[in-house]
Amino acid sequence: MSLQLRNIRLPLADFALETDAIFDQPITGIFGPSGAGKTSLLDLISGLRRPVAGAVQVDDKVIFDAADRLNVPPRLRRIGYVPQDLALFPHLKVRANLLYGYRPALIENELFTLGHVAEVMEITPLLERNVTTLSGGEQQRVAFARAILSAPRLLLLDEPMSSLDSRLKKRLIPFLLRIRDEFRIPLIYVTHDAGELVALCDEVLMLERGRLIGRGSPADVVA
Amino acid sequence: MTAEAWQIVFFTIEVSALSTLLILPLGVAVAWLIARREWAGKAVVETVVMLPLFVPPVATGLLLLMLFSRRGPLGSVLQRGFGWDIVFTWRAVVLACAVMSFPLLVRTAQAAFEGVSSRFEDIARTLGASEWRVFATISLPLATRGIVAGAVLAFARAMGEFGATAIVAGMIPRKTMTISLSIYQNIQLGHDAAALPLLFVSIGIVFITVLCGQIISTRKRPR
Amino acid sequence: MYAAASLTDALKEIAAAYEKQSGDKLRFNFGASSMLARQIEESAPADLFFSADEAKMDALEKKDLLLPGTRRSLLSNVLVLVVPTDASAAPKSAADLAKPEFKKIALAEPQTVPAGIYAREYLQKLGLWDAVKEKVVPTENVRAALAAVESGNVEVGIVYKTDSLISKKVKVAVEVPAAEGPKISYPIAVLKSSGQPDRAKKFAEYLAGPTPRSVFKRFGFTFAK
Repeated sequence: MSLQLRNIRLPLADFALETDAIFDQPITGIFGPSGAGKTSLLDLISGLRRPVAGAVQVDDKVIFDAADRLNVPPRLRRIGYVPQDLALFPHLKVRANLLYGYRPALIENELFTLGHVAEVMEITPLLERNVTTLSGGEQQRVAFARAILSAPRLLLLDEPMSSLDSRLKKRLIPFLLRIRDEFRIPLIYVTHDAGELVALCDEVLMLERGRLIGRGSPADVVA
Repeated sequence: MTAEAWQIVFFTIEVSALSTLLILPLGVAVAWLIARREWAGKAVVETVVMLPLFVPPVATGLLLLMLFSRRGPLGSVLQRGFGWDIVFTWRAVVLACAVMSFPLLVRTAQAAFEGVSSRFEDIARTLGASEWRVFATISLPLATRGIVAGAVLAFARAMGEFGATAIVAGMIPRKTMTISLSIYQNIQLGHDAAALPLLFVSIGIVFITVLCGQIISTRKRPR
Repeated sequence: MYAAASLTDALKEIAAAYEKQSGDKLRFNFGASSMLARQIEESAPADLFFSADEAKMDALEKKDLLLPGTRRSLLSNVLVLVVPTDASAAPKSAADLAKPEFKKIALAEPQTVPAGIYAREYLQKLGLWDAVKEKVVPTENVRAALAAVESGNVEVGIVYKTDSLISKKVKVAVEVPAAEGPKISYPIAVLKSSGQPDRAKKFAEYLAGPTPRSVFKRFGFTFAK
């Protein structure tokens, strides 16, 4: 899977996000200080925000082109999103949350069934619980599972572990690797934690004040 | 309380409940639009919706009288189409109550929708939900508490409606006589004492109604 | 002067001439005599009261609110049944009011306002009141009943002949002959609380004179015996 951002321009509060980049690794990290525009970058990839210029292409399908006034809405992009606050629907139980984006017709293999995904994320015992009663780590895994069950071709994660302690982070990293290996969904992973970058990412892009100022392996970037 | 007085009380409750039910669909829709959408002329729409709160009720009554009289633009259509008389019938009471309490419903429901984090709606979109599904399964359930509080307020307002009703429905015993109109008429006739039981009943009903509304809207919801 | 609503147009014309001639300024409060009487009882500032029935004046006299010696009955009137000028159906007699094509009948409030009381007494005398009372739309005063007929929101109304004459939007369907109808009488009196009783008396006497009489006559009023 390759994601191309061409001459994107998205005005933000203090500056404009301007990027031109290709994402074609299994796990690409986006690294930068807070306020750099990382969340806005994920928003525009998922279709939740519209750039004023540029184009976005996934494999050979153009999903956004400002010049042609082409904009595929989020619900048709099949790009999953786990936001920073997880946004688990508080009025639905875990099972209903998980199945929200599930459409059997889209599924090409049995990997993406509720039973299998729940097993891989180790949340099977939690299915009938209220999401608000879950622990931080449990909520995290439910959020991952919910996104996976919509069978996305790309998954965006916005600092998913920022609110967890390092012990919990270590425990969750394998689950993210399972997403890559078991479900083969490419990830774009935003974080400001160097440890997560090194543990997970094949390539890292650095974002500062709306611009990509560098790209390389995690080791290069962190140094 | 005489039998006649009880008839007046039940009639007032019935028309208030009916008018509240009638404005719910449109009121919730308008509230959602104002909370979640922008469009040219939105400020004008918001102002028109709020007008009955500020325009003198009798002026609103006069406007309704002109529109819905048998010769009026809307009244003549209803006459010819359905054989409905509006002015001087119970329908005029429902109409006056509906118009006067509409802004209260919209304001409260609007606040309820604004209180639902738009992140929930965004994530639902990334999970493939259409705009209608987002509204029905996310926005509406999460705003329900506020909407119910708005309906309660609208009901209470309808119970106390006087000025517009007096103009467009008249004070016809057993047909359009509400609690407020009856109290007014008793004062006109010099029967102040006869108005007292109705006064206490109406205060009692509205007190209980608004109290329920308060309890509903301020109870802690699981986050 | 607090005066019955049905006197509005006639009194305004008379007042314009009187003000020029006498130099006194007149201010009016027109409304249902019942409402005006109530306001006077609650000490509203009035010099003169010109009522559409004797009962309201009696009530004030009982409460000793009238200046003795100033009360006199001046005018009379006649009831008519009116319909909108473009109406397709019109009653040929009061009995027709019971017919289904007349769904709503506008009257001034039949318990308190003189025009409504007169109308109700007439219908009661004919034995029709029970049949039609469900159709009655009570209005605050006789002019409001007239307006209801003009708007077409009711099929028929019972008002004074004098009201029907000033409106182009209604036509008279039935006139209640004075002999058959209720005895209508408009008394006038100066109020004890008046701050200018002499001027008030002067105007009251003027109203009985020839010039105002011809104005009243032109508007359709008749005169008290």
